[in-house]
Amino acid sequence: MAANPLRVALFVALVPAAFLLPGSSPPRLPGDHSGYAPEQPIHFSHRLHAGELSIDCRYCHFGAWESRHAGIPPASVCMNCHASVSAGFDAQMAERAAAVAESRDPRRVVSPEIAKLYAALGLDETLTQQSAPTPIPWVRVHDLPDFTWFDHRVHVARAIACETCHGPVQSMERIRQVSSLSMGWCVDCHRASAAEPGGNSAQHVSTDCSACHF
Amino acid sequence: METHDDNLLLPFEDTTSSRRSFLRTVGFGIASAAMAGCSRGPVRYVVPSLAPSPEILPGRAYWIATTCGACSAGCGVLAKCRDGRPIKLEGNRAHPASLGGLCAVGQASVLSLYDSMRLDGARRGGASASFEDCDRELTRIFAELERSGGRVRLLTGSVHSPSTRAAIARFVARFADGRHVSYDPLPASATLTAYELLFGRRLLPSPQFERARTILAFDADFLGTWISPVEFGAAYTRGRELAPGAKFRHIQLESRLSLTGSRADERVLLAPWETAPALAGLCAELERLAGLPSRLAQLGATPRSERIAALAHEVWASRGASLVLCGIDELESQLLCAYANELLGNHGATLDLARPSQRRLGDERALGELAAELDAGSVDALVIAGVNPAYDLGGRLALARAKHVIVASEALDETAVAAGWVCPAPHALEAWDDGEPREGLFVLTQPTVPALRSTRSLRASLARWSGDARSDRDLVRAHWRSEIFPRSGESDFDLFFERALQAGFVELEPRARRSLAFRPDALAQLAPRAQSPAPGALALVLYAKVGLLDGRHAHNPWLQELSDPVTKIAWDNYACLAPTTAATLGIGEGDVVRVHTEQGAIELPAHLQSGQHEGVVAVALGYGRVGTGRFARVGPHWLDAQPTVASDGVVGVHAGPLVVWGSAGRSFAGAPARLDRLARNVSLACTQDYHSLELPAALASHGHEVRDAVRSTSHAEHAADPHAVARSKHPVADQDLWPDDHRGERRWGMTIDLARCTGCSACVIACQAENNVPVVGKDEVLRHREMSWIRIDRYYQGEGEELRTLHQPMLCQHCAHAPCESVCPVLATVHSAEGLNQQIYNRCVGTRYCSNTCPYKVRRFNWFDYPHEDALANQALNPDVTVRSRGVMEKCSFCVQRIQEAKARASVEGRALADGDVQLACQQSCPANAIVFGDLENPSSRVSASASDPRAYTLLEELNVQPSIRYLAHVHSGRSTKKESGHGG
Repeated sequence: MAANPLRVALFVALVPAAFLLPGSSPPRLPGDHSGYAPEQPIHFSHRLHAGELSIDCRYCHFGAWESRHAGIPPASVCMNCHASVSAGFDAQMAERAAAVAESRDPRRVVSPEIAKLYAALGLDETLTQQSAPTPIPWVRVHDLPDFTWFDHRVHVARAIACETCHGPVQSMERIRQVSSLSMGWCVDCHRASAAEPGGNSAQHVSTDCSACHF
Repeated sequence: METHDDNLLLPFEDTTSSRRSFLRTVGFGIASAAMAGCSRGPVRYVVPSLAPSPEILPGRAYWIATTCGACSAGCGVLAKCRDGRPIKLEGNRAHPASLGGLCAVGQASVLSLYDSMRLDGARRGGASASFEDCDRELTRIFAELERSGGRVRLLTGSVHSPSTRAAIARFVARFADGRHVSYDPLPASATLTAYELLFGRRLLPSPQFERARTILAFDADFLGTWISPVEFGAAYTRGRELAPGAKFRHIQLESRLSLTGSRADERVLLAPWETAPALAGLCAELERLAGLPSRLAQLGATPRSERIAALAHEVWASRGASLVLCGIDELESQLLCAYANELLGNHGATLDLARPSQRRLGDERALGELAAELDAGSVDALVIAGVNPAYDLGGRLALARAKHVIVASEALDETAVAAGWVCPAPHALEAWDDGEPREGLFVLTQPTVPALRSTRSLRASLARWSGDARSDRDLVRAHWRSEIFPRSGESDFDLFFERALQAGFVELEPRARRSLAFRPDALAQLAPRAQSPAPGALALVLYAKVGLLDGRHAHNPWLQELSDPVTKIAWDNYACLAPTTAATLGIGEGDVVRVHTEQGAIELPAHLQSGQHEGVVAVALGYGRVGTGRFARVGPHWLDAQPTVASDGVVGVHAGPLVVWGSAGRSFAGAPARLDRLARNVSLACTQDYHSLELPAALASHGHEVRDAVRSTSHAEHAADPHAVARSKHPVADQDLWPDDHRGERRWGMTIDLARCTGCSACVIACQAENNVPVVGKDEVLRHREMSWIRIDRYYQGEGEELRTLHQPMLCQHCAHAPCESVCPVLATVHSAEGLNQQIYNRCVGTRYCSNTCPYKVRRFNWFDYPHEDALANQALNPDVTVRSRGVMEKCSFCVQRIQEAKARASVEGRALADGDVQLACQQSCPANAIVFGDLENPSSRVSASASDPRAYTLLEELNVQPSIRYLAHVHSGRSTKKESGHGG
């Protein structure tokens, strides 16, 4: 059976053409969620915290050093600062200026986003307990399949920077998945590291299936 | 035009184009684009806790030292917890009794914690009630009884918790006619009475197996179900190892083949009615050897007199380092057993009287008195805790005649369902408790999870009804502060308690008591006579089964599906008959028989059991529990599925009503029984022949008909040529598909010492808990689809008394040249650089070629998505192991998640992986330390040392698949048998 040139041409032309349809994203494999940046229950800005304020990643994601999960910080970690910082600098200054102008004591300004944090903890604006706390349902961005086992602490122990996989988080207003987190993407790095000279056996970079799948 | 329609994925081979094929091509392109564009699954949330806990870090395991509450043995455990809940129990290596082992029942008890049918909140008159209302009413009732001098009875199992005992004593003392009665579902009351008569103190001596050289055990299943099997198994194995050469001898005298009997160097078949006369004969012979005048006045004929005399000589030769044990709870036998030990000088040497065991404290006489009081209707209030008398005692106690019945149980069991008040008791993993399993050894139980149900311990309830509202923790602490701490000689209680809590136990000198003097008067009245049943009748033996015990764990599906270590049958009890007896009676395997005794009749299937006395029919206790009806739909739900329960809606048949009640207590063995064969047959789910390593005769080449998978030798043969047993009898195949140059830096391997393995099956349940192995139900087991990753193959040699049994744990052998790897078309099973035979679920398409080609038959296929509908039970799943879905193959992974965890820890700590860093679930649980795991490439590892033992052999070496598991051949000190082993039976 000889190939039908028309059929071949159609196939070759139409598949890429499908990606150019209005609204479709660049071609990628099923399961590749790079670019995923869902709306979060609280508009938390990594750009502000990790970028502008240069807070170390591990201040909030302390799990990455001790556990396989980096973890989302408990709300009480937020309160370490936000018990006193209740609004942005500009809003605070504006209130202070207004207070001077109206010759009164400045009132406590609470930004709408930080008010959500207080609400989750069941606190009102003056930080008195009003209701039972309800945990914050953050939308998961980096989500590996259940049959894949990933261990943050091993990668952190090998001094792999967070940005290697998570991208320029310090410039993201809303957190976004940068890497594909596909198996090929993992294995590329594992292969490259395994080929590095001078790796000792305790830090052997495995490309065995059971390094991640069991 | 239409002939090429099925070439969807091969468009280039099409010769012509049609409208249909054009649309299909276009459609494929658009579909792929659409799939790529919106392939995100449903949004998932990640919800952090509100405040960080210093211990709980998501994804990181932490360990809590506590005590196993599955039976009264009080083994030390470390509960592995993740995200605030326990997921696995491991033995505590530092614990002085259990030494790091944990039995199948203990391993399974973590699943019972997540039992959705556990009671939640108090009940009053069969309906839910609040604890407060019940307490108010009960406090008033007890206050009234205190004033009026009413009769109050407290019925419990053996309570060795010091704080609970103190609470009980305080409670009972309130009433003019108050009394605490305890009984054990599997009693040892006669032993206690025997020591009371002979030594003046009611005690149960602690056997020191590691000091024994010769053990004579009369129906004592000490490796399986008797008193404290984990402790005994560990000490027994150590004793066996320590004894030089053939000096260790274990002779089991029993009527049925018990797990312990299956490990004996020699077995003597004794019917139940022969036990006491045989013990009397033994004592008489020992008296003669000791040159003492006989204290046994009326001696009948000794059954098997020559054999008994020979055994007496043998045990006399190792006097002071021997043990005579009797598991029959009958005063005559126990007096004689104690006397034999006294004659042998074992008291104080191998039987510790200074630190007696407190695991059996029940008193059958007191139970009998309580039964009479209940019959007379003279009990005003009856509090029942920790036992289930309506089931255990076969309805013998007239509970309804007590004016008020208050029950503290975990589930709505046979007793609780009829009680006026139910104050549910907590599971041991969510409660505070303490214990003293043997005198001087104090253990602590602490919660590993916030209480999942609204429950309260007996200790707290009794205190509450006496107006003391302290919490359980405070009650335990207060007792330790006032009673136990002063004995420690330490100065800071908080520090003492913290340390005890951290270790899980504290060992103190037992209270000094006056030394016990032997008073032989009680022996003079003994008149043991062999009373054989009438011709044609059999003697009924009711026994406890490994896993199910007295039935208290009948709600645990892991234990129900655990095949019995000897019969290999799961999900049922049955009437065991010797094959010759069955042939005489015309009964075949699975034929339903009616067992009649004076007490009543039960109907259950027959099982032909080799190595059993011909005059005995043996039935396991612990079945037929109310509430096991939940297992009707335990397996996968599909068109052809059969329910796991029998027509009466429960699993198995309750044999308890056949227990004989005498003046001295219950008797479990010897009742005359008649059998009628009914015209029905039941298939018993016997897993023994499912994964046979035997070759079908038609396929075997010459000389390969019998495979010597399991090897055993006698000490004499082993001493003559240590390497003989490991030598392969068959030429090793020299062809090979694989190159020999793929050795990595490490090769994980294992050795399993068949001389140590007792077949107790702790590893099977440990593996199930660790690796999320599903329960499939009886119907699926009958279809050879049970999922266990490690099974224990049982091999028989010989028949009757000469029967020799061997247990062989069988799991993936992680062959270096694995046949499964070469047949997988999708590379779902491949070799790792560290010698693991990896099974990759996400790649597997379920061809099952690998399972067909595996010579060891260790691969398991997921025929279904096994039900995981019970969200609470799913809490017991190990989050580090994938829950496999339908259509994929699975098998032992050498607990690769533990290997990865150990490597991660080493990497974080910046060190190389050390020998012993990785402990597999089966290895950790093994009370006998039969399993060693490690790196075979490292010559200094423990596993390498063990693998270089002359007894080490690989299974089916002739196939040249180069397994990573070495078995160490069993060495027994019985007579040598030249017969080849057979797999079946």
